[in-house]
Amino acid sequence: MTITASTPSSSGPLLWWKHHRKLILPPLLGIFGFLLAWQLSASLGLTRLPGPLSLFTETRTRELLLYPFYDRGGLDKGLFWQTLASLGRVAQGYVLAAVVGIGAGIAVGLNKTLNRAFDPLFQFLRMVAPLAWVPIALVIFQKNQPAAIFVIFITAVWPILINTAEGVRQIPQDYHNVALVLQMSKKTFFLKVLIPSALPYIFTGLRISIGLAWLAIIAAEIVMSGIVGIGFFIWDAYQQNYVSDIVLAVVWIGGVGLLLDRLMAWLQSRISPGQ
Amino acid sequence: MTALVEVQNIEKDFPLTGGGHYLALKGIDLEIRKGEFISLIGHSGCGKSTLLNMIAGLDLPTGGTVLLEGETVKRPGPDKMVVFQNYSLLPWLTVRQNIALAVDEVMPDLGRSEKDAVIDEHLEMVGLGQAGTKLPAQLSGGMRQRVAIARALAIKPKLLLLDEPFGALDALTRGNLQEKLMQICNEHALTAVMVTHDVDEAVLLSDRIVMLTNGPGSKIGGILEVDIPRPRQRLTVVHHPSYYSLRSEIIYFLNRQKRVKQWQARPHKVLARHGLEKVNLDLGFIPLAACAPLAVAEAKGFFAKHGLDDVQLVRETSWRGVLDGLVDRTLDAAMMPSGMPTWMTAGGHGGEPLPIVTALTISRNGNEVTLARRLAEQGVTTVEDYRAWLGSHEREPHRIGIVHPASMHNLLLRYWLAANGIDPDRDVHLQTLPPAQMLADLKDGSIDGYCIGEPWNFRAARSGHGVPIVGDLEIWSGHPGKVLGAREDWAQAYPNTHIALTKALLEACRYCADPAHWPEMGELLSDRRYLGINADLIRFSGQPGESGAFAPHGEPHHLFFGAGLNRPSRSEHLWILTQLARWAEIPFPRNYVEILERVCSVGVFSTAARELGLEDVSYQRQGIELFDGRPFNPEDPIAYLNDVSVHRDFSIAEIPIGQPRAMAV
Repeated sequence: MTITASTPSSSGPLLWWKHHRKLILPPLLGIFGFLLAWQLSASLGLTRLPGPLSLFTETRTRELLLYPFYDRGGLDKGLFWQTLASLGRVAQGYVLAAVVGIGAGIAVGLNKTLNRAFDPLFQFLRMVAPLAWVPIALVIFQKNQPAAIFVIFITAVWPILINTAEGVRQIPQDYHNVALVLQMSKKTFFLKVLIPSALPYIFTGLRISIGLAWLAIIAAEIVMSGIVGIGFFIWDAYQQNYVSDIVLAVVWIGGVGLLLDRLMAWLQSRISPGQ
Repeated sequence: MTALVEVQNIEKDFPLTGGGHYLALKGIDLEIRKGEFISLIGHSGCGKSTLLNMIAGLDLPTGGTVLLEGETVKRPGPDKMVVFQNYSLLPWLTVRQNIALAVDEVMPDLGRSEKDAVIDEHLEMVGLGQAGTKLPAQLSGGMRQRVAIARALAIKPKLLLLDEPFGALDALTRGNLQEKLMQICNEHALTAVMVTHDVDEAVLLSDRIVMLTNGPGSKIGGILEVDIPRPRQRLTVVHHPSYYSLRSEIIYFLNRQKRVKQWQARPHKVLARHGLEKVNLDLGFIPLAACAPLAVAEAKGFFAKHGLDDVQLVRETSWRGVLDGLVDRTLDAAMMPSGMPTWMTAGGHGGEPLPIVTALTISRNGNEVTLARRLAEQGVTTVEDYRAWLGSHEREPHRIGIVHPASMHNLLLRYWLAANGIDPDRDVHLQTLPPAQMLADLKDGSIDGYCIGEPWNFRAARSGHGVPIVGDLEIWSGHPGKVLGAREDWAQAYPNTHIALTKALLEACRYCADPAHWPEMGELLSDRRYLGINADLIRFSGQPGESGAFAPHGEPHHLFFGAGLNRPSRSEHLWILTQLARWAEIPFPRNYVEILERVCSVGVFSTAARELGLEDVSYQRQGIELFDGRPFNPEDPIAYLNDVSVHRDFSIAEIPIGQPRAMAV
């Protein structure tokens, strides 16, 4: 890479391809092979799932694909709006989870007794699947919107909490000693030592959680009828047997999930570089 | 000079995770004066960092107190700032911000510009004025530690505590930083305590070096004053006469600690067998030609023949190691200089009088005085020449190496010098050195000469660094050289073992006395378990036709066996007592008869000789006469002492040595 960068003029694209062939070719071949096998099995009638080409051949789906921004009111909106609605819920639940998770994580990380008191509970609750929270959430809140946000929160909070607590526990004794010898105030210790030191751990938790939250929202929306959101869109399409619509929605979900993860990685590299 | 820090009877007990506890430190007392630089040195796990942490207040003692300016240290604080081994800089802050963090916390009343000035001043002090905006990760280890030092000094601590500050640095960086630290300490009259495991670093930087023994229950094993004047330079300090003696003192201490640790790691069950109370023995020796009987007894199976199945010969590098081994009971018995039993019994080693018994004289003769080649080149070949030379070179220090104050080398050398009109304390300075170091010191000119046993004189003559000036055959032919020594309580606890050991060594002595065996003994001793030098450098006598100090009268130089040679002689040990008192090593014991009776185990020797069928060696040696012809009357040692012309102020005192008791087994 450095070679091409330093000599961009020497037969440009061809040389670039020569160097990057090994990196680019295998994933392209893999994806293409997978799509081909899928299309073949659909064409041969081995499965009733429509092939990837159906995204273009089905008129409905093609429209959804080509016009993600249409809005005809009610639930009939383009996939962009559906996704945005889901993302909005994720954002609310996730921010709540981050605030509670980091706060509780620091408390638990600093205080051994608190840790002993709550750790079993945390370990137990984090094993409960997001979908199992849905009926409980509906019972508690009686409404779809807050229930969905609660499900996001309860799914996303554990990795943040546990990683933050670990990050605080892992602050090197040396830094504690420095703080002790300088008789640092609590505030200085918190801002200058604790947070920067635990930051990589906190970000690991945040990054795991964003993926989980996105997984959970789809699951939550599927069972919550009558709301705008990509989860319910899938459920609705299934009810009406628009299978190729579902395939398209899945592509959107995967793409957005990937973007969210990259976003967190970028944020992490910006805020706590090289630690 | 007032005490800034007082450490009073500190004890530290750590609870262990698996239950139980570990006593790290016990009974530590230390006073640190203002402006003093103290090093704590010891093996890993000796608790030196724990002690530092307790002075810092990072850890609290379980017993005793630490006082800083008279106030108990209860918590850490910026008045006792610590520089940690791994720098402990916060990696997300720049160099400047790291120092600023400390300054902001400790000096909140200063204005921003004053704070900046403090930070700049200290960055400049450690030579990092340009690096203020860098992150610690962008700096080398040495630079990071300089930042840590700047941070520590910026807050003007009363006491600077350094925990192996240069341990993780390469040698070159370490050297530069040591100089820098020394310079800063001098300029600002800092009081500092440093933990280190680097002997040279300790000597270079410290005013006093505190040596800690191994845990559990580490204590202060000794405190050395470093009398090298400041300012010191790393390259020139090594030429100061104290440098190597301090260095070797510390290394001896650390080696001793290691040996004790190894000894403690081995099982120590007393094995009784063949009607002997103990057949597993650790015997101390130091590598000299005179240790031949011990090597022979091991190699020829004399120990095993007399039932001592498991005898380990423990090679020490100095007589002090032998002494310490007997004191702390890591040795059962040892070959020792003939002066040592009475000297220890009289408490000459500085502790409680420790009764030592000797049942066998292992060797006689074997010592010479060697002077450096540079003296010979100035025409100094006789003692008269040397006296004249001393007179004309008064201003230089004249050091002569000896191996131990209680060794015959010291006593004979002093007797010889005094009888020739040279005061052994005023005209020259006798310095105790490990034998192996003497040749090196002779080479580099830091001593005029030495008095020691073989092979060191022959080696010096052979390598051309020294010239023998007098042999002991010309001072006192047939003087006792090395003896077998053991604690009296040991001998009381294992009487039959003591006899068996005496028998084995007496037989080995007989073997060694046969000149036909000498080439073989030379080969044996050249092994690295013993002397580890070329066999042709180990000689037990001068060669036929040779003259000079090695064989002036054609007599064999080393005497190992013969009529009256091996039996412990009370009159000889009395002569030794008078000499030790003459040079004020010990007071002359008023109860000298009791001491001699206890030291000389004539009964054990006689039993051993009788059981070996060697009654003829039992006869007692008569009369002691040295080269100057002055008679020694064993009936009236005090009159003899009063009569000698050159002597120190000696005293006469009762030395209480209690009743003979057996060691608790």
